[in-house]
Amino acid sequence: MAKAKEQVIPNSEASRPASQAIDPPPVAASVVGLSKHFGKTSVLENISFEVAEGEVLVLLGASGSGKTTILRIIAGLEQPLKGKVVLHGKDVTDLPARERGVGVIFQSYALFPKMTVEKNIGYGLRIRKRRRKQIRETVNELLALVQLEEHRKKYPSQLSGGQQQRVAIARTLAYKPEVLLFDEPFGALDTQTRSHLRREIRALLKKVRVPSIFITHDQEEALELGDRVAVLNQGHIEQIGTPFEIYNHPATEYVATFLGAANILDAVVRNDALEIGGTPVPAQLDPAKFRSGDCVKIVFRPEDVVLSRSDLLRPGLLKIANARIEELTFVGAYERVRLRFERGAEACDRDERDFLLTTETPDRQTAKPIIATRPKPEASATRLQVGERVVVAITSFTVLEPQTNTDDS
Amino acid sequence: MRHVRGFDMVRPLSIGMLVFMMLPLVFLPLASIFIFGTRTGLDKFWAALMAPEAIFALKLSMATSFWATVFNVIFGLFAAYVLSRYDFWGRNALIVTISLPTAIPTAVAGFALLLLWGPYGTLGRLLAPHGVELMFTAGAIILANIFVTFPLAFGVIKPVFDTMSRSLEEASATIGATRWQTFWHVTLPSLRGAIVSGALLTFARAVGEFGSTILVSGNLAGKTQTAPLYIFAKFNEGQIEAANAIAIVLALFSFLIFSVLFFARDWLDVD
Repeated sequence: MAKAKEQVIPNSEASRPASQAIDPPPVAASVVGLSKHFGKTSVLENISFEVAEGEVLVLLGASGSGKTTILRIIAGLEQPLKGKVVLHGKDVTDLPARERGVGVIFQSYALFPKMTVEKNIGYGLRIRKRRRKQIRETVNELLALVQLEEHRKKYPSQLSGGQQQRVAIARTLAYKPEVLLFDEPFGALDTQTRSHLRREIRALLKKVRVPSIFITHDQEEALELGDRVAVLNQGHIEQIGTPFEIYNHPATEYVATFLGAANILDAVVRNDALEIGGTPVPAQLDPAKFRSGDCVKIVFRPEDVVLSRSDLLRPGLLKIANARIEELTFVGAYERVRLRFERGAEACDRDERDFLLTTETPDRQTAKPIIATRPKPEASATRLQVGERVVVAITSFTVLEPQTNTDDS
Repeated sequence: MRHVRGFDMVRPLSIGMLVFMMLPLVFLPLASIFIFGTRTGLDKFWAALMAPEAIFALKLSMATSFWATVFNVIFGLFAAYVLSRYDFWGRNALIVTISLPTAIPTAVAGFALLLLWGPYGTLGRLLAPHGVELMFTAGAIILANIFVTFPLAFGVIKPVFDTMSRSLEEASATIGATRWQTFWHVTLPSLRGAIVSGALLTFARAVGEFGSTILVSGNLAGKTQTAPLYIFAKFNEGQIEAANAIAIVLALFSFLIFSVLFFARDWLDVD
């Protein structure tokens, strides 16, 4: 029944077992064609994805992207207009929340205030009428797992935010849920606790191997926690892929800019190359998708940019243009350089060119600044000056597929 | 007036003035009940208290107030749940209607009950041929108590419902609990404080009810005479000691309930 459309590609990190790559693990949970409206506004449009056994899928999106609604639909706290939710092969779309066997970890923790830590963790087993002895054993195991043994008799209000969230996780693990759903679980925590708890939960999820769907608006969190990440924008999925894929090969401009800083340039397709700012750059493009003369957008990250004083570049570097340095900023771990191309690299779009002409008065330079970052060793080895001319080269770039509706008006 | 550092003259002055103002308004009336009641000696007081009619009046007050409290707490819980969980047309009108009975003069409330349930009342007329007579019985007193204390428990419980996070109940549902289990294990414990204080308020108010009770009970000594009615009757007969003995008991009783409400607030609120 391995009908996974998206193959689960474990990324290169050592913590992931290599055996997984051979056989894609079975699908644990999936949603098919979910749609939802609130009044007249459409919140979700035809959302489909799958989560494999033991996998962590992160739904990444800004507020209002519909990610929480997806989670609530899977949990059974909200009904979709169209589409279905399948958990371990069973269609649960019409089942109430209590019969789905999902575990939800809420941003507000949602711990029962009148129960001690122990009672909270044992709640799922108590309402399932399990034997006292079994409840006690499970609670003890989970208390050890989340390292809260000495707090077992405390009430939630006596715990810190991070501790409360660990109790909430233990509480859901107690009844062995089919899938874990995390609703921005670190939203209410300070930055330090957040990154600490993030590592803890990552290790915990690798240990218990319950398939998980994790919601966040924090791209760093998404990249660190997810085996795969789905980027949501206004109710639809922009891209699903491994953190490596979505960061390095974004499918859309939205994905590129949502995940960290990105430089986006216009380029023109020429037979076997891309013309970026008048400079031909060799590129392998799918002829089915790109025709010669097409105007496309290319994306590269600030850390993909290499600045050089001479035209003699290391092999593998792609020169795109000469530029003048406008600004140098020291940002701690690296140096940020803002550059502007001297000529070329013009937009294909006429509207945009008009815009360029009106905003740029003194020198006829292109409007789009390029941002480059240089790691400390490089920055201190070659000191650059504002106003200096440099050669801009890039190590790699991604070509965005042309949007279907960009016909000239 | 010299201003001494660290000593603010306004403080003792304002406290003194507050106490002085309360003296004729609250303290002295309360004190006089006790002074007058015990002036003739404790044995007289005790004898007045132990009169069969007096004991009956106190018992009747307690019993009718108890059943009115039981009903209004359960009803208040139910009404608060419905009105804070569901939004529907006419919701605000219902909230106002529930709260109305405290704003109506108690005599009017008693009169309204008579018009409905009395032998010639709208519903009472239908029951009378079957030998069912609700008015001028203990049942009538309970009905009157329910009416005048109707919004008290509701008013205490509803705000707690409103501020209770929905995610607690949602969490309980996803963990696998039925609605009833969620209500019993999650919702109700959070309402414990509100239920206890709502019940005490209702009970205290019902025990002291006079205006509506005198109309619907018939005020028959040893049959339908509650403690406040007993005080009024004995006062009219000129038996001041008899009235006073019961007055002391009722005053002490209210004092006790409000002390519990005041000092047990911490216990009622936090786990």
